[in-house]
Amino acid sequence: MGEEEAKEEKAKPKEEFKLSFDYFNESRLGIFALIIGALIAIFPGLPAFIEGIGMIIVFAWGADSVRKTARYGLGTGVPSIGVLAVGFGIVGGIAGIAIASTHFGTLVVGGVEIAFGVLAGVALLALLGFVSGNLANGDKFIDMKIPGLERGMTELGIAGTLAVLIETSILAGTYHITKVLPNVVNNGLIAAIFILSAFGMLQPYNTCLGADERRGRTLLMSIEIGGIASIILGIAATLTLSAVEGVPLIVLGAVVWVAYYRAYMKACMEEAYATPGTGLIKTLGG
Amino acid sequence: MIETLLLVLVCIIIGGILSSLAVHLMPVGGAPAAMATATGIATGCVMLMTGAAVTGLFTASTVASFWATNPSVILVALSGAVGAMLMMGFTMFVANLIYIFGAGVVPCSGRVAVDPITRESQTEYKTPRTDGHGVPTVSYVSGILGGFSGGFGGALIYVVLVSDSYAHFSVATAGIVAMGIFIANAIIAAYNIGGTIEGFHDPKFKARIRTGLTCALIVSVLCGVIVVIAMLTGTLVGGVM
Repeated sequence: MGEEEAKEEKAKPKEEFKLSFDYFNESRLGIFALIIGALIAIFPGLPAFIEGIGMIIVFAWGADSVRKTARYGLGTGVPSIGVLAVGFGIVGGIAGIAIASTHFGTLVVGGVEIAFGVLAGVALLALLGFVSGNLANGDKFIDMKIPGLERGMTELGIAGTLAVLIETSILAGTYHITKVLPNVVNNGLIAAIFILSAFGMLQPYNTCLGADERRGRTLLMSIEIGGIASIILGIAATLTLSAVEGVPLIVLGAVVWVAYYRAYMKACMEEAYATPGTGLIKTLGG
Repeated sequence: MIETLLLVLVCIIIGGILSSLAVHLMPVGGAPAAMATATGIATGCVMLMTGAAVTGLFTASTVASFWATNPSVILVALSGAVGAMLMMGFTMFVANLIYIFGAGVVPCSGRVAVDPITRESQTEYKTPRTDGHGVPTVSYVSGILGGFSGGFGGALIYVVLVSDSYAHFSVATAGIVAMGIFIANAIIAAYNIGGTIEGFHDPKFKARIRTGLTCALIVSVLCGVIVVIAMLTGTLVGGVM
């Protein structure tokens, strides 16, 4: 009886759960997020809410890479690899912005800025991520014996850099260093970017990890955190640029947050054996 | 010009190697230490070291602002080391207060029978089937040395990036890039340790320090090259305010 019930419990959520990540398996999500992220990153003049969507997709990719590498046990906790991704991202982001600010790093076609230079930063960090992955997994070096750590760290280097670049372009509207320094770096918002990107990538797997962790549910949380990050960046963009940029981003963030919080809670309720309510947080139908 | 670039690269490499060494010297207990069943502070290497290094960066940036131009590299780096040492000292002291008066355990090492500094026997004080408790004298000294090394390394990267005779970035850019390079090195070192370490007396330290420093060298060279490329574009110079 116990076994049958357990089987039913496991089969149920897949059918009832509408938003599925089955099509976007690990490789497809990576390619999709890389293309969308790179396209959005090289057009810094796009409206902030489109960049917000790009940021959410990049967060989901980063969270997927963290999940891929951290499920074998890192020995120092899941947060370390998310912070590593953003540590890489800051170095690559600053290098990319510096290259994009040169006269050959950015093309202006019909008044639209196309910053190819930032891709150089992304490529350098892909190399750094690949080298550190090989150092961490190589049997002559640290020898962590985690399958796919090289690929995971390469992806995290790229995702971290893309996240930092897209968030910078949300707040500054351009990559030109005379705008980026006062709007993003010198007023300290870069520290907020650092911790928001780190949370978008490390928090989903850190919260959901365990024996019955499911990829679809973990990624729901990364999108939810992307919504919260959009709200915070929207408030900051209202202050640094204008309300025209900031308010649509806040609305996007609020909609994404509410929708994905509901979806995540529903998935948790359905997949859990039992959920007693504490009464502290009003849960959905629980 | 080329000497400046090389000097910045060398300072970033030295800073990265020192930060990796610092992580190996920390008394890190991880989750078992939260139940007082392992020696060290109850957190991960990265959190402990980042806390200390950011404090070091604060003191270093304060001291660097005493000079209008050309801050003294060695004084600023040393002030960063002092900040990080103080932060490590306070953390270990408060952790010991909680362990001794809250959890009721005697700080003792689980990996060595005799404390190499005080020459006092440790095994009698160790509860059976645990891996030591609290922060004993040798781990405390090791942690302070780690704070010195990490704070010095982080502040060295910061000061060559901010000084107008070297890279001449703006204060915030230099700070955040120094933090990025520091974190990359500290986490690779934390993976090398793989969980818990007591300090320089731990057998793990001798067994793994060489690998850790080699990895730090390679990662720092790459980070340094990326920063030098960013410097070569010339756009970050001047620190537009």
